[in-house]
Amino acid sequence: MEEVKAYIESGILELYVLGDISAQEKAQVEEMASKHQEVRAEIAEIENSMELYAEVHAVEPSEQLRHRVLNSLLVNLGDDNTFSKSRTRQDDDNVVALPVARVNSFYKYAFAACLTLLLISIYGLVNLYSELQESNSQLTALQTDKQRFANQVSLMDNQLAMYRDTAYKVLKLKGTPKTPTAAMILAWNSVSKKVMVDMETLKLPQHDTKHQYQLWALVGGKPVDMGVFDTATPDTTGVKEMKSIASADAFAVTLEPTGGSVNPTLDQMVVIGKF
Amino acid sequence: MSPKRKISLSEEELILALRNREKIAVEALYDMYSASLFGVISRIVTDQAVAEDILQETFVKIWHSFGGYSAEKGRLFTWMVNIARNLAIDKVRSKDFKNQSKNHELENNVTFIDEQRNTVYKPELLGIRDLVSTLKPEQKSILDLVYFKGYTHVEAADELGVPLGTIKTRLRMAILQLRKHFN
Repeated sequence: MEEVKAYIESGILELYVLGDISAQEKAQVEEMASKHQEVRAEIAEIENSMELYAEVHAVEPSEQLRHRVLNSLLVNLGDDNTFSKSRTRQDDDNVVALPVARVNSFYKYAFAACLTLLLISIYGLVNLYSELQESNSQLTALQTDKQRFANQVSLMDNQLAMYRDTAYKVLKLKGTPKTPTAAMILAWNSVSKKVMVDMETLKLPQHDTKHQYQLWALVGGKPVDMGVFDTATPDTTGVKEMKSIASADAFAVTLEPTGGSVNPTLDQMVVIGKF
Repeated sequence: MSPKRKISLSEEELILALRNREKIAVEALYDMYSASLFGVISRIVTDQAVAEDILQETFVKIWHSFGGYSAEKGRLFTWMVNIARNLAIDKVRSKDFKNQSKNHELENNVTFIDEQRNTVYKPELLGIRDLVSTLKPEQKSILDLVYFKGYTHVEAADELGVPLGTIKTRLRMAILQLRKHFN
Protein backbone atom coordinates (compact mmCIF):
# COMPACT_ATOMS: atom_id res chain seq x y z
CA MET A 1 0.00 0.00 0.00
CA GLU A 2 2.83 2.36 0.85
CA GLU A 3 4.31 1.58 -2.51
CA VAL A 4 1.07 2.52 -4.31
CA LYS A 5 0.74 5.73 -2.33
CA ALA A 6 4.28 6.75 -3.16
CA TYR A 7 3.63 5.94 -6.81
CA ILE A 8 0.54 8.14 -6.82
CA GLU A 9 2.40 10.98 -5.12
CA SER A 10 5.32 10.82 -7.53
CA GLY A 11 3.24 12.89 -9.98
CA ILE A 12 3.59 10.40 -12.81
CA LEU A 13 -0.20 9.93 -13.08
CA GLU A 14 -0.62 13.65 -13.82
CA LEU A 15 1.99 13.42 -16.55
CA TYR A 16 0.23 10.31 -17.84
CA VAL A 17 -3.05 12.18 -18.18
CA LEU A 18 -1.27 15.14 -19.81
CA GLY A 19 0.30 12.76 -22.35
CA ASP A 20 3.78 13.91 -21.28
CA ILE A 21 5.26 10.47 -20.75
CA SER A 22 7.34 7.86 -22.58
CA ALA A 23 5.78 4.74 -24.08
CA GLN A 24 7.60 2.63 -21.49
CA GLU A 25 6.29 4.68 -18.55
CA LYS A 26 2.84 4.66 -20.11
CA ALA A 27 2.77 0.87 -20.19
CA GLN A 28 3.96 0.84 -16.59
CA VAL A 29 1.16 3.20 -15.48
CA GLU A 30 -1.43 1.13 -17.28
CA GLU A 31 -0.15 -2.01 -15.60
CA MET A 32 -0.33 -0.34 -12.16
CA ALA A 33 -3.85 0.89 -12.96
CA SER A 34 -5.02 -2.58 -13.88
CA LYS A 35 -3.64 -3.93 -10.58
CA HIS A 36 -4.66 -1.19 -8.18
CA GLN A 37 -8.10 0.32 -7.73
CA GLU A 38 -6.53 3.38 -6.02
CA VAL A 39 -4.44 4.17 -9.07
CA ARG A 40 -7.49 3.88 -11.34
CA ALA A 41 -9.49 6.18 -9.08
CA GLU A 42 -6.67 8.70 -8.93
CA ILE A 43 -6.34 8.77 -12.71
CA ALA A 44 -10.12 9.22 -13.08
CA GLU A 45 -9.99 12.16 -10.64
CA ILE A 46 -7.14 13.81 -12.51
CA GLU A 47 -8.84 13.31 -15.87
CA ASN A 48 -12.10 14.72 -14.58
CA SER A 49 -10.47 17.84 -13.20
CA MET A 50 -8.45 18.40 -16.37
CA GLU A 51 -11.59 18.05 -18.46
CA LEU A 52 -13.37 20.59 -16.31
CA TYR A 53 -10.33 22.87 -16.47
CA ALA A 54 -10.53 22.68 -20.26
CA GLU A 55 -14.24 23.43 -20.13
CA VAL A 56 -13.54 26.53 -18.07
CA HIS A 57 -11.17 27.68 -20.78
CA ALA A 58 -13.39 26.57 -23.63
CA VAL A 59 -13.54 28.84 -26.69
CA GLU A 60 -16.41 28.54 -29.16
CA PRO A 61 -15.15 28.09 -32.71
CA SER A 62 -16.99 29.99 -35.44
CA GLU A 63 -20.50 28.90 -36.45
CA GLN A 64 -19.49 27.83 -39.96
CA LEU A 65 -16.87 25.44 -38.66
CA ARG A 66 -19.49 23.06 -37.27
CA HIS A 67 -20.94 22.65 -40.73
CA ARG A 68 -17.50 22.23 -42.29
CA VAL A 69 -16.33 19.62 -39.80
CA LEU A 70 -19.57 17.62 -39.87
CA ASN A 71 -19.48 17.63 -43.67
CA SER A 72 -15.91 16.43 -43.82
CA LEU A 73 -16.74 13.59 -41.41
CA LEU A 74 -20.11 12.57 -42.84
CA VAL A 75 -19.29 12.79 -46.53
CA ASN A 76 -17.85 9.29 -46.58
CA LEU A 77 -20.01 7.83 -43.85
CA GLY A 78 -21.46 5.19 -46.18
CA ASP A 79 -17.96 4.02 -47.12
CA ASP A 80 -16.88 4.19 -43.53
CA ASN A 81 -19.72 1.92 -42.48
CA THR A 82 -18.51 -0.67 -44.94
CA PHE A 83 -14.83 -0.45 -44.14
CA SER A 84 -14.76 1.22 -40.75
CA LYS A 85 -13.14 -1.52 -38.68
CA SER A 86 -10.29 -2.19 -41.08
CA ARG A 87 -9.37 1.46 -41.47
CA THR A 88 -5.66 1.88 -40.79
CA ARG A 89 -3.10 4.62 -40.89
CA GLN A 90 -2.16 3.34 -44.34
CA ASP A 91 -5.61 4.33 -45.60
CA ASP A 92 -5.20 7.83 -44.24
CA ASP A 93 -1.87 8.12 -46.02
CA ASN A 94 -3.55 7.10 -49.27
CA VAL A 95 -6.10 9.83 -48.84
CA VAL A 96 -3.30 12.35 -48.38
CA ALA A 97 -1.61 11.13 -51.55
CA LEU A 98 -4.45 12.40 -53.81
CA PRO A 99 -3.21 15.94 -54.47
CA VAL A 100 0.00 14.51 -55.93
CA ALA A 101 -2.02 12.76 -58.61
CA ARG A 102 -3.73 16.06 -59.40
CA VAL A 103 -0.36 17.78 -59.81
CA ASN A 104 0.69 15.02 -62.21
CA SER A 105 -2.39 15.41 -64.36
CA PHE A 106 -1.76 19.15 -64.43
CA TYR A 107 1.66 18.57 -65.96
CA LYS A 108 0.13 16.12 -68.41
CA TYR A 109 -2.33 18.73 -69.63
CA ALA A 110 0.33 21.42 -69.64
CA PHE A 111 2.55 19.21 -71.77
CA ALA A 112 -0.28 18.48 -74.20
CA ALA A 113 -1.03 22.20 -74.44
CA CYS A 114 2.64 22.96 -75.12
CA LEU A 115 2.75 20.33 -77.85
CA THR A 116 -0.37 21.72 -79.49
CA LEU A 117 1.05 25.22 -79.38
CA LEU A 118 4.30 23.99 -80.89
CA LEU A 119 2.48 22.31 -83.78
CA ILE A 120 0.41 25.42 -84.44
CA SER A 121 3.57 27.54 -84.36
CA ILE A 122 5.38 25.28 -86.81
CA TYR A 123 2.38 25.32 -89.17
CA GLY A 124 2.25 29.12 -88.96
CA LEU A 125 5.98 29.38 -89.55
CA VAL A 126 5.84 27.19 -92.66
CA ASN A 127 2.97 29.25 -94.05
CA LEU A 128 4.79 32.47 -93.36
CA TYR A 129 7.98 31.14 -94.94
CA SER A 130 6.26 30.15 -98.19
CA GLU A 131 4.58 33.57 -98.34
CA LEU A 132 7.97 35.18 -97.86
CA GLN A 133 9.41 33.09 -100.69
CA GLU A 134 6.57 34.14 -102.98
CA SER A 135 7.05 37.82 -102.11
CA ASN A 136 10.77 37.51 -102.75
CA SER A 137 10.27 36.00 -106.21
CA GLN A 138 7.72 38.71 -107.03
CA LEU A 139 10.22 41.30 -105.93
CA THR A 140 12.93 39.77 -108.13
CA ALA A 141 10.55 39.73 -111.12
CA LEU A 142 9.68 43.37 -110.53
CA GLN A 143 13.34 44.31 -110.30
CA THR A 144 14.09 42.48 -113.56
CA ASP A 145 11.19 44.30 -115.20
CA LYS A 146 12.40 47.60 -113.86
CA GLN A 147 15.92 46.92 -115.12
CA ARG A 148 14.58 46.03 -118.56
CA PHE A 149 12.54 49.21 -118.76
CA ALA A 150 15.49 51.28 -117.58
CA ASN A 151 17.67 49.70 -120.30
CA GLN A 152 15.04 50.34 -122.89
CA VAL A 153 14.65 53.95 -121.83
CA SER A 154 18.40 54.59 -122.01
CA LEU A 155 18.51 52.90 -125.40
CA MET A 156 15.72 55.11 -126.69
CA ASP A 157 17.53 58.11 -125.26
CA ASN A 158 20.64 57.18 -127.25
CA GLN A 159 18.56 56.77 -130.37
CA LEU A 160 16.84 60.10 -129.90
CA ALA A 161 20.16 61.79 -129.20
CA MET A 162 21.54 60.37 -132.41
CA TYR A 163 18.80 61.87 -134.55
CA ARG A 164 18.80 65.20 -132.71
CA ASP A 165 22.55 65.63 -132.82
CA THR A 166 23.31 67.88 -135.77
CA ALA A 167 26.77 66.31 -136.06
CA TYR A 168 25.11 63.12 -137.34
CA LYS A 169 24.49 62.77 -141.01
CA VAL A 170 21.64 60.41 -141.84
CA LEU A 171 22.03 58.38 -145.03
CA LYS A 172 19.40 56.22 -146.66
CA LEU A 173 20.87 53.23 -148.47
CA LYS A 174 18.71 52.00 -151.34
CA GLY A 175 18.39 48.59 -152.90
CA THR A 176 20.42 47.55 -155.96
CA PRO A 177 18.65 46.27 -159.07
CA LYS A 178 19.15 42.76 -157.69
CA THR A 179 17.31 43.56 -154.45
CA PRO A 180 15.06 46.55 -155.24
CA THR A 181 13.04 46.34 -151.97
CA ALA A 182 16.06 46.40 -149.71
CA ALA A 183 16.64 49.56 -147.67
CA MET A 184 18.65 50.66 -144.66
CA ILE A 185 19.23 53.81 -142.64
CA LEU A 186 22.72 54.70 -141.44
CA ALA A 187 24.01 57.65 -139.39
CA TRP A 188 27.57 58.95 -139.45
CA ASN A 189 28.95 61.44 -137.01
CA SER A 190 31.63 63.47 -138.68
CA VAL A 191 32.87 64.79 -135.27
CA SER A 192 33.08 61.57 -133.21
CA LYS A 193 33.52 59.46 -136.38
CA LYS A 194 30.90 56.99 -135.13
CA VAL A 195 28.82 55.00 -137.58
CA MET A 196 25.47 53.61 -136.48
CA VAL A 197 23.00 51.30 -138.27
CA ASP A 198 19.31 51.68 -137.43
CA MET A 199 18.33 48.05 -136.89
CA GLU A 200 14.61 48.82 -136.51
CA THR A 201 14.15 50.10 -140.04
CA LEU A 202 16.49 47.53 -141.53
CA LYS A 203 14.96 45.89 -144.62
CA LEU A 204 17.39 43.31 -146.05
CA PRO A 205 16.70 39.82 -147.41
CA GLN A 206 17.09 37.05 -144.80
CA HIS A 207 20.50 35.32 -144.97
CA ASP A 208 21.48 31.80 -143.91
CA THR A 209 23.69 30.91 -140.94
CA LYS A 210 26.83 30.71 -143.06
CA HIS A 211 26.62 34.31 -144.22
CA GLN A 212 26.54 37.78 -142.64
CA TYR A 213 26.06 41.22 -144.05
CA GLN A 214 29.20 43.37 -144.13
CA LEU A 215 29.20 47.19 -144.21
CA TRP A 216 31.72 48.96 -146.38
CA ALA A 217 32.69 52.62 -146.61
CA LEU A 218 33.94 53.93 -149.93
CA VAL A 219 36.79 56.36 -149.35
CA GLY A 220 38.26 57.74 -152.59
CA GLY A 221 36.84 54.78 -154.52
CA LYS A 222 38.37 52.18 -152.15
CA PRO A 223 36.21 49.98 -149.92
CA VAL A 224 37.00 50.01 -146.17
CA ASP A 225 35.67 47.26 -143.85
CA MET A 226 33.17 48.67 -141.32
CA GLY A 227 32.21 45.39 -139.58
CA VAL A 228 29.54 42.73 -139.95
CA PHE A 229 25.94 42.49 -138.76
CA ASP A 230 22.97 40.16 -138.99
CA THR A 231 19.51 40.83 -140.34
CA ALA A 232 16.97 41.93 -137.84
CA THR A 233 15.73 39.22 -135.51
CA PRO A 234 12.41 39.94 -133.80
CA ASP A 235 14.04 41.15 -130.56
CA THR A 236 16.66 43.31 -132.25
CA THR A 237 15.89 46.90 -131.45
CA GLY A 238 17.65 50.17 -131.50
CA VAL A 239 20.88 50.96 -133.28
CA LYS A 240 24.12 49.03 -133.78
CA GLU A 241 27.44 50.83 -133.63
CA MET A 242 29.86 49.89 -136.37
CA LYS A 243 33.57 50.68 -136.77
CA SER A 244 34.55 54.36 -136.84
CA ILE A 245 35.71 56.24 -139.88
CA ALA A 246 36.89 59.85 -140.40
CA SER A 247 35.39 60.40 -143.81
CA ALA A 248 33.47 58.49 -146.46
CA ASP A 249 31.90 59.17 -149.84
CA ALA A 250 29.44 56.33 -149.80
CA PHE A 251 28.37 53.26 -147.80
CA ALA A 252 27.38 49.84 -149.16
CA VAL A 253 26.41 46.45 -147.77
CA THR A 254 27.39 43.10 -149.29
CA LEU A 255 26.56 39.53 -148.30
CA GLU A 256 29.76 37.78 -147.19
CA PRO A 257 30.65 34.48 -145.52
CA THR A 258 30.24 34.61 -141.70
CA GLY A 259 32.94 36.78 -140.11
CA GLY A 260 33.31 39.01 -143.18
CA SER A 261 35.80 39.26 -146.05
CA VAL A 262 38.82 41.45 -146.72
CA ASN A 263 37.40 42.66 -150.05
CA PRO A 264 33.72 43.05 -150.86
CA THR A 265 32.04 40.57 -153.15
CA LEU A 266 30.51 43.15 -155.42
CA ASP A 267 27.89 40.97 -157.08
CA GLN A 268 26.46 40.28 -153.61
CA MET A 269 25.84 43.98 -152.90
CA VAL A 270 22.31 44.57 -151.53
CA VAL A 271 22.17 48.31 -150.74
CA ILE A 272 24.23 51.37 -151.49
CA GLY A 273 23.93 55.09 -150.64
CA LYS A 274 26.00 58.18 -151.36
CA PHE A 275 26.27 61.51 -149.60
CA MET B 1 -29.48 27.96 -40.20
CA SER B 2 -32.05 27.38 -37.50
CA PRO B 3 -30.96 28.05 -33.96
CA LYS B 4 -28.94 25.00 -33.26
CA ARG B 5 -29.89 22.68 -30.52
CA LYS B 6 -26.78 21.13 -29.14
CA ILE B 7 -26.85 17.40 -28.93
CA SER B 8 -25.57 15.87 -25.74
CA LEU B 9 -25.14 12.23 -24.82
CA SER B 10 -23.60 10.46 -21.90
CA GLU B 11 -20.01 9.43 -22.46
CA GLU B 12 -21.00 5.74 -22.68
CA GLU B 13 -23.76 6.42 -25.22
CA LEU B 14 -21.42 8.57 -27.26
CA ILE B 15 -18.68 5.94 -27.33
CA LEU B 16 -21.16 3.27 -28.40
CA ALA B 17 -22.60 5.50 -31.14
CA LEU B 18 -19.10 6.35 -32.36
CA ARG B 19 -18.21 2.67 -32.56
CA ASN B 20 -21.34 2.05 -34.64
CA ARG B 21 -20.41 4.98 -36.92
CA GLU B 22 -23.75 6.73 -36.36
CA LYS B 23 -24.42 10.18 -37.76
CA ILE B 24 -25.72 11.45 -34.45
CA ALA B 25 -22.41 10.45 -32.82
CA VAL B 26 -20.53 12.91 -35.03
CA GLU B 27 -22.84 15.77 -34.16
CA ALA B 28 -22.84 14.97 -30.46
CA LEU B 29 -19.05 14.66 -30.49
CA TYR B 30 -18.72 18.09 -32.04
CA ASP B 31 -21.31 19.78 -29.86
CA MET B 32 -19.98 18.31 -26.62
CA TYR B 33 -16.27 18.81 -27.14
CA SER B 34 -15.51 21.36 -29.91
CA ALA B 35 -15.33 24.34 -27.54
CA SER B 36 -13.15 22.59 -24.97
CA LEU B 37 -10.78 21.26 -27.62
CA PHE B 38 -10.73 24.58 -29.43
CA GLY B 39 -9.85 26.28 -26.15
CA VAL B 40 -6.72 24.14 -25.91
CA ILE B 41 -5.83 24.40 -29.61
CA SER B 42 -6.29 28.16 -29.84
CA ARG B 43 -3.98 28.71 -26.88
CA ILE B 44 -1.22 26.83 -28.70
CA VAL B 45 -2.00 28.19 -32.17
CA THR B 46 -3.09 31.79 -31.84
CA ASP B 47 -4.14 32.29 -35.46
CA GLN B 48 -7.92 31.73 -35.54
CA ALA B 49 -8.04 30.25 -39.06
CA VAL B 50 -5.14 27.88 -38.47
CA ALA B 51 -6.62 26.84 -35.11
CA GLU B 52 -9.93 26.01 -36.80
CA ASP B 53 -8.12 23.95 -39.42
CA ILE B 54 -6.46 22.00 -36.64
CA LEU B 55 -9.79 21.50 -34.85
CA GLN B 56 -11.18 20.03 -38.06
CA GLU B 57 -8.11 17.84 -38.45
CA THR B 58 -8.55 16.71 -34.86
CA PHE B 59 -12.12 15.58 -35.44
CA VAL B 60 -11.15 13.81 -38.64
CA LYS B 61 -8.41 11.97 -36.80
CA ILE B 62 -10.70 11.11 -33.86
CA TRP B 63 -13.30 9.78 -36.29
CA HIS B 64 -10.88 7.70 -38.33
CA SER B 65 -8.77 6.29 -35.54
CA PHE B 66 -11.57 5.73 -33.07
CA GLY B 67 -10.76 2.02 -33.15
CA GLY B 68 -7.58 2.88 -31.25
CA TYR B 69 -9.49 4.29 -28.27
CA SER B 70 -10.14 2.05 -25.33
CA ALA B 71 -12.46 3.15 -22.53
CA GLU B 72 -10.55 1.09 -19.95
CA LYS B 73 -7.47 3.23 -20.41
CA GLY B 74 -9.16 6.51 -19.64
CA ARG B 75 -11.79 9.10 -20.41
CA LEU B 76 -12.67 9.96 -23.98
CA PHE B 77 -11.76 13.62 -23.49
CA THR B 78 -8.24 12.75 -22.24
CA TRP B 79 -7.63 10.76 -25.43
CA MET B 80 -9.07 13.49 -27.65
CA VAL B 81 -7.31 16.42 -26.02
CA ASN B 82 -3.99 14.64 -26.48
CA ILE B 83 -4.72 14.23 -30.21
CA ALA B 84 -5.68 17.91 -30.46
CA ARG B 85 -2.64 19.07 -28.50
CA ASN B 86 -0.24 16.93 -30.57
CA LEU B 87 -1.64 18.20 -33.88
CA ALA B 88 -1.43 21.78 -32.65
CA ILE B 89 2.15 21.35 -31.39
CA ASP B 90 3.19 19.66 -34.66
CA LYS B 91 1.81 22.69 -36.48
CA VAL B 92 3.52 25.25 -34.25
CA ARG B 93 6.84 23.45 -34.53
CA SER B 94 6.64 22.98 -38.29
CA LYS B 95 9.03 25.21 -40.21
CA ASP B 96 6.50 27.12 -42.30
CA PHE B 97 4.47 28.03 -39.24
CA LYS B 98 7.50 29.20 -37.28
CA ASN B 99 8.44 31.59 -40.04
CA GLN B 100 5.10 33.37 -40.08
CA SER B 101 3.98 33.27 -36.50
CA LYS B 102 4.22 36.30 -34.31
CA ASN B 103 5.76 35.62 -30.98
CA HIS B 104 3.45 36.22 -28.09
CA GLU B 105 4.89 36.17 -24.64
CA LEU B 106 3.78 32.89 -23.14
CA GLU B 107 2.44 34.17 -19.85
CA ASN B 108 0.34 36.82 -21.50
CA ASN B 109 -0.96 34.41 -24.06
CA VAL B 110 -3.60 32.65 -22.04
CA THR B 111 -5.11 35.88 -20.75
CA PHE B 112 -4.62 37.46 -24.17
CA ILE B 113 -6.83 34.78 -25.70
CA ASP B 114 -9.37 35.15 -22.91
CA GLU B 115 -9.58 38.86 -23.58
CA GLN B 116 -9.98 38.37 -27.29
CA ARG B 117 -12.51 35.58 -27.39
CA ASN B 118 -15.80 34.92 -25.77
CA THR B 119 -14.77 32.34 -23.28
CA VAL B 120 -17.73 30.17 -22.45
CA TYR B 121 -18.75 30.06 -18.82
CA LYS B 122 -21.16 27.25 -18.25
CA PRO B 123 -23.84 27.71 -15.60
CA GLU B 124 -22.70 24.68 -13.65
CA LEU B 125 -19.24 26.21 -13.54
CA LEU B 126 -20.35 29.61 -12.26
CA GLY B 127 -17.96 31.09 -9.83
CA ILE B 128 -15.10 29.68 -11.85
CA ARG B 129 -13.57 33.10 -12.05
CA ASP B 130 -12.34 32.31 -8.58
CA LEU B 131 -10.32 29.54 -10.17
CA VAL B 132 -7.51 31.89 -10.99
CA SER B 133 -7.21 32.81 -7.35
CA THR B 134 -7.48 29.14 -6.37
CA LEU B 135 -4.21 28.36 -8.10
CA LYS B 136 -0.99 29.95 -6.96
CA PRO B 137 0.72 31.84 -9.79
CA GLU B 138 3.58 29.34 -9.99
CA GLN B 139 1.08 26.47 -10.11
CA LYS B 140 -0.97 28.11 -12.83
CA SER B 141 2.06 28.94 -14.97
CA ILE B 142 3.39 25.36 -14.94
CA LEU B 143 -0.08 23.88 -15.56
CA ASP B 144 -0.75 26.23 -18.48
CA LEU B 145 2.70 25.61 -19.94
CA VAL B 146 2.10 21.88 -20.08
CA TYR B 147 -1.64 21.81 -20.69
CA PHE B 148 -2.09 24.80 -22.97
CA LYS B 149 1.31 25.33 -24.54
CA GLY B 150 2.25 21.70 -25.09
CA TYR B 151 5.54 21.89 -23.19
CA THR B 152 6.89 18.68 -21.77
CA HIS B 153 7.62 18.96 -18.07
CA VAL B 154 11.34 18.80 -18.96
CA GLU B 155 10.99 21.81 -21.30
CA ALA B 156 8.90 23.59 -18.68
CA ALA B 157 11.68 23.08 -16.12
CA ASP B 158 14.09 24.69 -18.58
CA GLU B 159 11.72 27.55 -19.37
CA LEU B 160 11.01 28.38 -15.74
CA GLY B 161 14.51 27.57 -14.49
CA VAL B 162 13.21 25.20 -11.83
CA PRO B 163 14.44 21.67 -11.00
CA LEU B 164 12.52 18.80 -12.58
CA GLY B 165 11.34 17.45 -9.20
CA THR B 166 9.86 20.83 -8.30
CA ILE B 167 8.03 20.95 -11.61
CA LYS B 168 6.43 17.57 -11.00
CA THR B 169 5.42 18.55 -7.47
CA ARG B 170 3.94 21.88 -8.57
CA LEU B 171 2.04 20.19 -11.37
CA ARG B 172 0.56 17.68 -8.95
CA MET B 173 -0.29 20.39 -6.44
CA ALA B 174 -1.96 22.45 -9.13
CA ILE B 175 -4.13 19.54 -10.23
CA LEU B 176 -4.95 18.59 -6.63
CA GLN B 177 -6.05 22.19 -6.15
CA LEU B 178 -8.29 21.91 -9.19
CA ARG B 179 -9.79 18.67 -7.93
CA LYS B 180 -10.60 20.30 -4.63
CA HIS B 181 -12.12 23.25 -6.46
CA PHE B 182 -14.33 21.20 -8.74
CA ASN B 183 -15.55 19.01 -5.91
